[in-house]
Amino acid sequence: MFLPTLFWLAAVAIAGVHARSSAGDSVLVVVEPEHQAKYSIFFQNIKDRGYELTFRAPQTEEPRLVEFDAPKFSHVVILAPEIKSIAKDIGPQGLVDVLSRGVNLLVALPQKQSPLSAFAAEFSLILPPPNTHLISYFPERNESATIIPVAPSKDHPILTNGITPIWFSGAPHALSTNPYLVPILHAPAQSFAGEPDSPGDVLADAAEKGGEGLWAGSQLGIVTGFQASNNARVTFVGGREVFSDEFAQKEINPGTKSGNTQFVNDIVAWTFQESLVFRVDKVEHRGLNTPISSDKYTVNDNVIFSAYISKYDPQTSTWASYSGIDDLQLEFTMLDPHIRTALLPESETPGKYSVTFRVPDRHGVFKFVINHRRNGMTYLQSSTTVAVVPPRHDEYPRFLSAAWPYYVGAMSTSIGFVLFSALWMARDVREEKKGKTE
Amino acid sequence: MAPKAGQPAAAANSPLQTLWKAYTDTTPDRLKFIDSFLLFLMLSGVIQFVYCILVTDFPFNAFLAGFSSTVGQFVLSASLRSQVNPDNKEEFKEVSPERAFADFALGSIVLHFFVYNFLG
Repeated sequence: MFLPTLFWLAAVAIAGVHARSSAGDSVLVVVEPEHQAKYSIFFQNIKDRGYELTFRAPQTEEPRLVEFDAPKFSHVVILAPEIKSIAKDIGPQGLVDVLSRGVNLLVALPQKQSPLSAFAAEFSLILPPPNTHLISYFPERNESATIIPVAPSKDHPILTNGITPIWFSGAPHALSTNPYLVPILHAPAQSFAGEPDSPGDVLADAAEKGGEGLWAGSQLGIVTGFQASNNARVTFVGGREVFSDEFAQKEINPGTKSGNTQFVNDIVAWTFQESLVFRVDKVEHRGLNTPISSDKYTVNDNVIFSAYISKYDPQTSTWASYSGIDDLQLEFTMLDPHIRTALLPESETPGKYSVTFRVPDRHGVFKFVINHRRNGMTYLQSSTTVAVVPPRHDEYPRFLSAAWPYYVGAMSTSIGFVLFSALWMARDVREEKKGKTE
Repeated sequence: MAPKAGQPAAAANSPLQTLWKAYTDTTPDRLKFIDSFLLFLMLSGVIQFVYCILVTDFPFNAFLAGFSSTVGQFVLSASLRSQVNPDNKEEFKEVSPERAFADFALGSIVLHFFVYNFLG
């Protein structure tokens, strides 16, 4: 009774030690050595999830992020936002470069002018002027106005359901309409952006202008993700205090610890490609009445297309068939989609999505295209090229109902000829007999 | 074949009737038999042609086959008629009626062979 349970626990423990991420388990943490101890709970949590941490001070060159033109780490955490000068390979250019090679980034944004401000601007985040904080006087509390409890939204796909509110301190940012952005946490409705020393000034200025220019309310983001087209993920956090031991242990209500630890775990899981990671295992297509796949279809053929989709399971580090996507679409395109249809999960085979459709009456080079882009999910892309050809000369229907008068005409002529000949010869014979008898 | 002098009133009343009567009276049965076949072929060809004009000429090869089979059969039958006509005996001295029919039958079989090849 206990033995299988023990084995199962051991298996989970062993699996948990290595690489819960689908992208790799080496992490470069850029943090000033003197601040390292402030985030010990955060670092310990990442280590417990099976990641190998390598620490580096912002200004030093070693260890290098890119060596021999290949990234040495799968993930980068930058907790040193205030630094004026930063080593070149972890500056904005270097980070964009490794991101385009699939390295995931977790970045705490600065409140002062820093190279990372330019980096955030590359991802369509609009940062406030330097030295701006998020300020809120609600709810009433003992802490200063810049230390704010924020309740994450209830059913965010990235966050654990029912997560307790977290402590936040730092700068907000405005979001542009870039569709690659994944808003994770918004500022509370009563909060606004201002200088902590004289928060009244910004409100007075804004009041004079009728509210114009005031950064306020829940449209502001404080934690925002970005998923690049190569599926590498970046998460920007408005202030590095979110990761700190102090906030993790601080009580949000009397008797309730803050949700910071859980929240940080959730955004790390998303950023490091543990959660919401999907892939298209394979696609297959064939004619409705032919058992084998073909790279050539005739116009108006009926075709079955199937895709197999898996989701990454970080608990076991394996890919499992996943049938939960209900808005998958298939396009059959030649320049434009000639057919766009729902690709629905099949109930018999888990992870299989299939659809049957009629090839359009148009020949040319077509593609089966799946292009599924949903906020926060891995983009699912697949493209298969096939030729659609007109019927061969002997594949057209031979006898058409429209031509029946012609067929009847030809046949009646033949029958008429046969009858005519028979009667003609019968008469010959009769006349001959008559001639003989006479 | 001119109308007889004894029936001028009937001829004046209806020339067509006179023509018909003269035809039925003086034409041998054999030629009448051929003529009825020719009439049938002509009607069949007209029906196909009207169908082609009013309804559809698609597939065109079927129309050509059907229509030309009636036309071809008509031509062959018409030649048979002129060769077996007793009035034309002087013209076709070396062609006996049996020979004429054999030519007609062979030509028709070849014609139908082509027609069915072209029909589908």
